[in-house]
Amino acid sequence: MKPQRFIAKLADKEFFNEKFSKYVFEMEEPHRIDFESGQYVSITVDETGDRRSYSVCSNPDTHHSFELLIDHSPQGKGTTFLQNLKFGDEIDVMGPLGRFVLAPDKGEDEIVFIATGSGIAPFRSMILYLLQDLGEKRPVTLYWGLRHEENLFWQNDFQDLVDEYENFKFHPVLSRGSEEWPLCKGRVTDCLAVHDLPAKGCYYLCGNAKMIEDVNTLLLSKGVVAEDVHFEKFY
Amino acid sequence: MVEDSVVQTKQIGKYKVEVIRSKCISAGSCEAIAPGVFALDEEGIATVISQDGNSDDEKLLAAQSCPTDAIVVTDIETGEQVWPKA
Repeated sequence: MKPQRFIAKLADKEFFNEKFSKYVFEMEEPHRIDFESGQYVSITVDETGDRRSYSVCSNPDTHHSFELLIDHSPQGKGTTFLQNLKFGDEIDVMGPLGRFVLAPDKGEDEIVFIATGSGIAPFRSMILYLLQDLGEKRPVTLYWGLRHEENLFWQNDFQDLVDEYENFKFHPVLSRGSEEWPLCKGRVTDCLAVHDLPAKGCYYLCGNAKMIEDVNTLLLSKGVVAEDVHFEKFY
Repeated sequence: MVEDSVVQTKQIGKYKVEVIRSKCISAGSCEAIAPGVFALDEEGIATVISQDGNSDDEKLLAAQSCPTDAIVVTDIETGEQVWPKA
């Protein structure tokens, strides 16, 4: 869909923790948005026309609204603008934008998503769409790297997907987890190094540039072809 | 008799655009908004294929849509950088 400018209004805010929140916007004019999972929108954040981009984290099968995951820690212009919004406030948006979308099915053995931090945003949209709408039956695995337990969110939502879809697996990885953290510790790359990664898999990477570089190198060393690794650098 | 000559003028906008290759992350929003001006090359990096393939408004919107501010818009007459704002 060709990007267009539209108006949306703030319908809900969900505060996950000190670092992350989810914002829900209802479409005003037009009343409908069509996008592909993985795409993003660009929002005007001040009177000079300055804009900030955010990946849509909701399922594209919902057309009257869209959801954005916000990382508050930069405390930049975009974060400040969004935090100051009141319910019902309208925003000027451009979208949908971006080419980081689900690749055509080439019959790969498995689909693997690897994210750090807010890089989870486009993957939530992709995973929901794959499982709920496309009825994907191949194994779908998500690796998500964060720093501390208190940064975690959506873990119950992803666990619900694990319970509902037997082909979905979720591996949260904490780089600075407490001693009590029972699951993968270290960087997400460390976790991947000890997991079986199919050479004939379709891989999606999103998050910090260093992670993408390191994981890409690891995947290529395991026989994954470059065309099967798709990535978007967030920071 | 002197024939009337037809003079054709090509409308050229007032904005010039440039791509900072090192900043481009291949998001492709510029190409989607102003396909007459921007295209992704074989490396997936945005390039300017024509300065007047789209209107000035579309060129500016394309620059503003870039998530990494990789597109610089300059006013040809004044030399002022229009986007990103200094």
